[in-house]
Amino acid sequence: MPIRVLEQSVAAKIAAGEVVERPASVVKELVENSLDAGASQVSVETRGGGVSLIRVTDNGSGIPPGEIETAFDRYATSKVSTIEDLDSIITFGFRGEALPSIAAVAVVEIVTCAAGESAGDLVSLQNGAVVEHRSEGHARGTTVTVRDLFRSVPARLKFLKSTTTENSHIARVVSECALAFPEVRFALAIDGRSVLRTPGTGQLIESAIEVYGLQVARDLLDIKGSDDTWQGGNATAPPVVTGMVGSPGLSRANRDYLSFFVNRRSISSRSLAWAVEEAYQGMLMTGRHPVAIVNIAIPPGEVDVNIHPSKAEVKFRDERTVFTAVQRAVRGTLVEMAPVARIEDTTATYTTPPASTRQLWGTVPTDAGATALPMETAHTPIASLPALRVLGQLDSTYIIAEGPDGLYLIDQHAAHERIVYEKARRQQEQRQTDVQGLLEPVPFEVGPRQDEVLRSGYRQLEEFGFAIEPFGDRTYLVRAIPAVLDGKDWSAMVRELIDTIIEGGGDNWSEDIAVTLACHSAVRAGQTLSDEEMRELIRQLEQAAMPRTCPHGRPTVIHLSSRQLQKEFRRI
Amino acid sequence: MKLSCTQENLNRGLGVVGRAVAARTTLPITNNVLLATDESRLKLVATNLEMAISHWIGAKVEEEGDITVPARLLTEFVSSLPSDKVDLSLPANSKTLEVTCARFEARISGVDAKDFPPIPKVSEGINTRVEVNHLRQGITQVVFAVATEESRPVLTGVDAMFEGDLLTLAAADGFRLAVYKLPLATPVSEKTEVIIPGRTLAEVNRLMGDDEEVIDITVNPNKSQILFHMKNTELVSQLVQGTFPQYSQLIPQSSSTKVVVDVAEFLRATRTASIFARDGSGIVRLVATPGSGELTTGKITISARSEELGDDVGEIDATVEGEEAKIAFNGKYIIDVLSVLREKQVVLETTNPSSPGVIRPVGVDNYTHVVMPMFVQW
Repeated sequence: MPIRVLEQSVAAKIAAGEVVERPASVVKELVENSLDAGASQVSVETRGGGVSLIRVTDNGSGIPPGEIETAFDRYATSKVSTIEDLDSIITFGFRGEALPSIAAVAVVEIVTCAAGESAGDLVSLQNGAVVEHRSEGHARGTTVTVRDLFRSVPARLKFLKSTTTENSHIARVVSECALAFPEVRFALAIDGRSVLRTPGTGQLIESAIEVYGLQVARDLLDIKGSDDTWQGGNATAPPVVTGMVGSPGLSRANRDYLSFFVNRRSISSRSLAWAVEEAYQGMLMTGRHPVAIVNIAIPPGEVDVNIHPSKAEVKFRDERTVFTAVQRAVRGTLVEMAPVARIEDTTATYTTPPASTRQLWGTVPTDAGATALPMETAHTPIASLPALRVLGQLDSTYIIAEGPDGLYLIDQHAAHERIVYEKARRQQEQRQTDVQGLLEPVPFEVGPRQDEVLRSGYRQLEEFGFAIEPFGDRTYLVRAIPAVLDGKDWSAMVRELIDTIIEGGGDNWSEDIAVTLACHSAVRAGQTLSDEEMRELIRQLEQAAMPRTCPHGRPTVIHLSSRQLQKEFRRI
Repeated sequence: MKLSCTQENLNRGLGVVGRAVAARTTLPITNNVLLATDESRLKLVATNLEMAISHWIGAKVEEEGDITVPARLLTEFVSSLPSDKVDLSLPANSKTLEVTCARFEARISGVDAKDFPPIPKVSEGINTRVEVNHLRQGITQVVFAVATEESRPVLTGVDAMFEGDLLTLAAADGFRLAVYKLPLATPVSEKTEVIIPGRTLAEVNRLMGDDEEVIDITVNPNKSQILFHMKNTELVSQLVQGTFPQYSQLIPQSSSTKVVVDVAEFLRATRTASIFARDGSGIVRLVATPGSGELTTGKITISARSEELGDDVGEIDATVEGEEAKIAFNGKYIIDVLSVLREKQVVLETTNPSSPGVIRPVGVDNYTHVVMPMFVQW
């Protein structure tokens, strides 16, 4: 094939892919335009995961009539004129790519009315070309309606995730903006349901209540000296760190609750996340992550936001200073303001080991004989366990038992998890769950993103013994729980389940439910067991279908054969 | 400081305050016990910051003073001493307490009493008195129902409503509710509702001696602390802040079946069934059948089954009024409530398999226990 210059429409679609990756990116670009226009109210409406409809309405400055069509030209912007301006960027947009990119892959209609104009203007575009331009009444501000997103780019459409996933991304984008701009009133409606509504009072805590719910917001601490500087977009060096962080008692199973802003631009940064987690060192259990909303106010020249097509990542001129500032501010807040820990029994929480560490499990620190166990497990995948005699407990975590051929060490939590998991699965299949009623129905509140997930799957929770039903906005009512969770914190279990599903994509609810249920109701590591309890645990493990691994795939039993022992003691 | 007392008194006193010594703490001094002269007595104090116990024993005081020393060390040492006179002395400007008894001598390094957390004074506020045997029974019959996990902190406490000459204690853990009413010896001036940590009340129950008749209770004006004043002992505790659920609406007002049954027999049958229920989440199934005629009384069968172990059925005589009823409970909850009742018979009221069951002792009307059933297939 000869080398040719691409047709403009093809080139535009390819370029659009960089900026508009998924419906949520369209929402992000449009909302940022609204914020750049100085809007104090932004409302977002989406349907069909953002593919059928995205409509963003604001009361910002609007676009003057003569400039509307130009706005859809590539590299047309009102925010930058010379290259030097890039050093003092305080607006979100500046490259002039968003509107043309969206117009290249969707049907766009814009109605706008600039300040001082008597009537508004309507422009519609298809395939990046203007098909209509006429007068249309509109209050001050701009409404952009995007329809049939990616309809002309089937390849992209094919790669979109389920509607639920796309909705949760949209909810996340709007939530982030709502946190960054507490003084702006945000409203988000997904498929006609009101999902988020912030009051726009300028108080970060009020936005946090709407986004994360009262239960989380209650445990948030103001970062020291952050009372007035959250608003500041153009501070001087050194960087000023503001926002809120969760008290150490508040932790989550993933990093979804870490929000970072640089001059109120939402960014993702592994190293900032790391800086915050470092500040929590020793206060959180391994595998748990903090909740934080952190803004870094820094002179625009100190940061390059132009390294990522959708500006999701930024580069700092002096990274070290920024990270130190974040870490110091968070740590200082925690040390000074964290409530004194109450005197209570602490129990260990189980967390899923990352896949990379799995092969480490089961390694006995001996050389030659060490491989014996994993091989045995591999040869007999559904190996039943021999009859074991309990000898004692080690570290309040492992049961030591004697079998026909040597010593067995059993991880009490993993073993119990396996037992509960199989039982939960069996009961679910036979529709015979053990259910304990609650004395009074308990309301269960979730954030917008969690709500999207829970709404799509709460019925599956019922198969495992929960009686749960939607109860107004982002609230569910729980009337009964699985009997195995009696006396356990079932709400923590459901929250962790939702987080797991957000992380994993949510294609296998019932498996995720069974695993989380087992994890939360199983006996903890660190819990002292009586001889009788240990015998009972072993007896039930012997009857399990797959007694050798826990539902996460970790081994439940380590076997040191008599032969291995003899070898170690140089008896043979 | 220089004083002497008997080994028995000191040993008993250390045992009394010992329960308030912090077990695991970030504030090391709370592992210590405070010893202070108080006129002609020795005051012992321990606190875990949530609760503080002070106890006074008779002593011959020669020189005033105070010091704190590691509680466990002192307690273990004193308990191993012979029954004799114990001399405690703290040389001026020293932090080492010298303990002498018969031919034993010990020197224990202490920490200045000034560093000991101040024990809150609760002198003003709502004041009342309760007879010890009433309070003891009340605590016993509700405290087991407090929540053990802390996701809803108010439920880890017992709701205490002082009104006129009546005290209503209530505890709930999300699955069951226990409400006990007892008379106050001195009426309160105004209606007051506070939530007392379950651990505190369990401790009060332990501290109330057999030789005492009434106990003095004071709640401070901003309802953050409560003081239990006994003959030689004072217990001050933080109160749980928050609003206790409106529990009166959780008590069913009507029922379709009333079963009157002997407590001891009911308890035995439930315990027996629980052995088989261990595998199956503790599910114990009750079937109450009314008698067929005037002469035959009704019966209640109590059964449990396990997939692997087998099953068991027990039957006891009962007076059954109303329709035949089937309901399943967690056996533990039934055992918990039946074990603390003093009365001979109870009445169990049910409406349907998914509505709460109510247990009340026969012959008194001051106790109500509500248990949520388990939903099972019959």
